[in-house]
Amino acid sequence: MATRLGLQKWFPDALKKFGVYTVFDLLVKYIKEGRIKIDKSRHPQLATYHDPCNYGRKSEMMFGHGYYEEPRWIMDQCTENWVDLYPNRGYQFCCGSGGGIWLTPYNKERIGHGGKKIEQIKAAGAKLLVVPCHTCYDQFNKSLKVEYNMEDLEVKYLWALVADSIVL
Amino acid sequence: MEPLDLTKQPERMLDLKPEWANICFSCGTCASGCPVSGMDSWDPRKVIRALVLGLEQEVVDAQWPWICTMCGRCQYACPQGVEFVSLIRYLRSHRERDKVPGTLHKGVMAALKTGNNFSIPKDDFIFVMEDVAEEFAEEEGLPDFKIPLDKKGANILCTLHGKLPYGQTDDMKFWWKIFYAAGEDWTLPTENWEGVNWALYTGDDEAMKTMVGRIVENMEKLEAKNLLFPE
Repeated sequence: MATRLGLQKWFPDALKKFGVYTVFDLLVKYIKEGRIKIDKSRHPQLATYHDPCNYGRKSEMMFGHGYYEEPRWIMDQCTENWVDLYPNRGYQFCCGSGGGIWLTPYNKERIGHGGKKIEQIKAAGAKLLVVPCHTCYDQFNKSLKVEYNMEDLEVKYLWALVADSIVL
Repeated sequence: MEPLDLTKQPERMLDLKPEWANICFSCGTCASGCPVSGMDSWDPRKVIRALVLGLEQEVVDAQWPWICTMCGRCQYACPQGVEFVSLIRYLRSHRERDKVPGTLHKGVMAALKTGNNFSIPKDDFIFVMEDVAEEFAEEEGLPDFKIPLDKKGANILCTLHGKLPYGQTDDMKFWWKIFYAAGEDWTLPTENWEGVNWALYTGDDEAMKTMVGRIVENMEKLEAKNLLFPE
């Protein structure tokens, strides 16, 4: 998000010289063009998807397009068994670890904030949580799972879901 | 604290844009939808009211602008279009740099000095990449897999989240597998490969611009056609 914002703000000419991809665009492209083959049966457990603030709501507000539907399309390609959290897309809750708070001493606040998200995930009954953001991933996998007794929840990057579904 | 004299315009320390405070009609939609309302006894609405009343230093000194994760839920719901996310960043930029909480600013300084947030030297980086690539090729049974470091003219240039070479090396293998399967022509620079810019969070425009500029330099130097963001 910082790189994209910085390119637009300070290096608009560079954007005329080279193209840019988000992970969403590139994964969709590979699957649509048939460059990677996916086996849908490898993730049978009930899955759910977390919209990160940066690539959903904030992309929508800053760049005019939120990546809401692309990851959902990718989920559809990789699993038959997934549900949305509620609320989602523009009204989702943050994982609690955005804005750099992971690197500050405000752990109690970060974990408290994440509790809101954990309520949603528990309500969905998901066994597999898919996230397309490095910070969200660490917040769920290293912190919230432990703090909220969710050790059985499997947390996966969106690109890991794809990589683990690839038929070579 | 002294009572406020509302008959006078408060003295201004900050250069507040109207869309950061004055257009607010104090409805409280922001605060009601904010997951950290009440923490450290602040909330989004209270921040705006305090700024309007001239309590600028109090807001800059508060922990709350750093507890807020800049998630933008308040801004998304605001009927008046208050630009809360850029306001929080602006408030953070007014914190003295040695009082920026945690390791955020230290990471920015490290990135400016070494090209990445964790100060990983170039030789160590190359060693880790080649070592993990060898491990990956063995695990997946792909003896022809090579890590394309500093390759010129590639279709895709990647930056990396600093945590990956620093300590979560297994997490790099997913994209390697996808690139291998897709037959992608890609590369990873061995200098200034950091894809995470903490200056976005500390409100440091100059540092943010320097780091983005280095990515542009890598794109030009390696004549790459497309840049892939790390998330």
